[in-house]
Amino acid sequence: MVRRAGGPPSRILYGVIELQHLTKRYGGTLAVDDLSFTVEPGHVTGFLGPNGAGKSTTMRLILGLDAPTSGQALVNGRGYTSLRKPMREVGALLDAGAVHGGRSAYNHLLCLARTNDIGPKRVVEVLEQVGLAGVARKRVGGFSLGMKQRLGIAVALLGDPGILMFDEPVNGLDPDGVRWIRDLMRSLAAEGRTILLSSHLMSEMALTAERIVIVGRGKLIIEATVAELTARYPSLEDAYMALTSDSVQFGAAR
Amino acid sequence: MSVLTSEWLKVRSLRSTYLVLGLALSAILMGLALAVMAAGMYDTASLAQRSRARIADLEEVLVMVPQLCMGILGALTITSEYTTGLIRTSLTLVPGRWPVLAAKSLIVGALGLIVGALTVFGTYFLSREVLGDRFAGAYTTPFQDRLPLLLALSLTVPVFALLGTAFGALIRSAAGAIAVIVGLVYVIPMIIGKIPEPWSERLGSLMIGALPREITGDTITTSVYGSLLSPAAAAMVMVAYATLPLIAATWLVRRRDA
Amino acid sequence: MKAVLSSEWVKLRSVASTFHTIGAAAAMVVLGIAWTVYVGALADERGMLRAAAPEEGFLPLVQMSLAVLGVLTITSEHATGMIRTSLVTVPRRSTLFLAKAGIVALATLATAMSVLLLTYVTSRLIAGERHLGFNESAFTNDLPMLLASGLSVTALALVGLGLGAAMRSTAGALVSVVSLLFVLPGVINYLPPPWNTRIAALLLPNLVPQIASERMSSRLGDGYLPPWAALAVLFAYPLITLTIGYYALKRKDA
Repeated sequence: MVRRAGGPPSRILYGVIELQHLTKRYGGTLAVDDLSFTVEPGHVTGFLGPNGAGKSTTMRLILGLDAPTSGQALVNGRGYTSLRKPMREVGALLDAGAVHGGRSAYNHLLCLARTNDIGPKRVVEVLEQVGLAGVARKRVGGFSLGMKQRLGIAVALLGDPGILMFDEPVNGLDPDGVRWIRDLMRSLAAEGRTILLSSHLMSEMALTAERIVIVGRGKLIIEATVAELTARYPSLEDAYMALTSDSVQFGAAR
Repeated sequence: MSVLTSEWLKVRSLRSTYLVLGLALSAILMGLALAVMAAGMYDTASLAQRSRARIADLEEVLVMVPQLCMGILGALTITSEYTTGLIRTSLTLVPGRWPVLAAKSLIVGALGLIVGALTVFGTYFLSREVLGDRFAGAYTTPFQDRLPLLLALSLTVPVFALLGTAFGALIRSAAGAIAVIVGLVYVIPMIIGKIPEPWSERLGSLMIGALPREITGDTITTSVYGSLLSPAAAAMVMVAYATLPLIAATWLVRRRDA
Repeated sequence: MKAVLSSEWVKLRSVASTFHTIGAAAAMVVLGIAWTVYVGALADERGMLRAAAPEEGFLPLVQMSLAVLGVLTITSEHATGMIRTSLVTVPRRSTLFLAKAGIVALATLATAMSVLLLTYVTSRLIAGERHLGFNESAFTNDLPMLLASGLSVTALALVGLGLGAAMRSTAGALVSVVSLLFVLPGVINYLPPPWNTRIAALLLPNLVPQIASERMSSRLGDGYLPPWAALAVLFAYPLITLTIGYYALKRKDA
């Protein structure tokens, strides 16, 4: 099941994401406030929090898209921007809509794959894996939201990385797609990969994730296993509601 | 009417609008700088040089800046909606579609008229103030005699605003529409200037830059354009520039899938 | 670097706008043929005439079209959000930007030189033995002008790339390019002599004839700069704008 992207066979699949006092300030607002936690291999870690809690910013900071105001985010012990072949260590889906509509799915993947010395064979493989092989030569602009999500996931999988991050991958997917994502996440984790998954769908998260990190107003609220949370509260959703009630009000007032 | 207020809100809530308007109005400052430089050079020149010194009508040179800017503003009002996908919402709210384009045209046209008049008359009065009677020609003739030309020059700015809107709707891409506007203002006149006669003058007479002087009958021999059209014919060509592309755009927007 | 270059090449050749801009530039060949046929017919009537060379007269068309290509290489990524995906796959922003600049330089130089030479050759073939003014010097004499024209196109495309990176807006960058290519030279033209010539000598479109040690224009007269100095100024334009663009890309959060 695990396919190598032509890299050296001795490559370690396991990876780890560490956040150390990560802080990001945009003007007067603290988007991420002294956030520290570790995401470990072998299971799906759910990343939860109300809108504007800083989930996407945290992912952007991990990927070096934004520079932290203070603190640091490390992948496999190093800063993301110092990785030579980042796609082989970390795969990410941030915004499925961020594609040039005029490019075909195949070319979109190919131009990204090339940057990390990944060949066209792997592009075809990944297109098969996400179920877009039939529309590989079609313009991405004509894709539905669900198809774009699949394309974004394909980008993340290209380098067969040990660490994967997905920001709201379930948005816009049909029930088939939702189940497909769930199974994909679980199987990727079962292969020993490190998965950070953000979503607002609590029932889905309860089925997919093993550990949960909840943030609010940029701060860490709790880090626990799903089992721990469902033992204390009737459901994951109830746990989420109870734990984030303060943050939501703050978010609305802003 | 509600479409008009909605479009007006869209235009004035965008930062790019203010950037483009600011850039258009900066032509007045450029004109002032040129006038001050020219006056300084005149004052340090010898008497013999002074008698030969000529200066172009600065408002006629600088009107190209608001022309270009308002053309781009017109294009952006529509291409930015295509880029963001807002156009689908806009067209859903106004299923007849043509009022959207009409309202946009009306707003950028009116803005173009104001900006055009401000830059042309602003440059004229400032240059006149700075240059006084230094150079023989433009700024020594009475204002009343210059008024028709200044008005005609001002009018070319809204024409460009409408052209921009039309090409924005036809091409749906900011880069494409801007390229067409630049082609109309600069590239085509430059190329036509190099064609051998008689076609250089024939085609040059049809350029927007040639129309103000043809409309007012105030032709000069040093013009880079031609001057073959009668005032009435030139006025009709100007109206055609303003309306024909818009009509084509309206027809296409109504027919095409959004 | 090679991998990123190859990726940028895929990006460039997989969008329609590339072919639109190259097509617009290639229109020079057709216009050049039409031009030569037209002035050739006039010469048959009148015996001889002095017409402008098509590869010089239509140069602004090629400059403008390929400058749009340079601008779009980066602003289309900002407009679609693709830039974030690109930076996740190539976290070193200097590498990404250099690769873009390299591909833009190669593509525009190759396009410009082919279009210029094709225009040159077809127009000379059509002109034959007629006395059209532009077809009466040897190819070796015209070569400096052709090379300078080609270089000016690439310089302008790179200026477009630099400004696009600095402004992140297609319209903004295009307006700036147009200002450099048309507005500024147009306005400076109208300064009283000799100031118009002195300042104009430093402006992009007037560098081409100065590199080939020819007259700038009938209005401006001879140039001020020796060929090597004009060439240095031509290189300075992209160098400065690319540096500004690089710092904008490096410093700002994506």
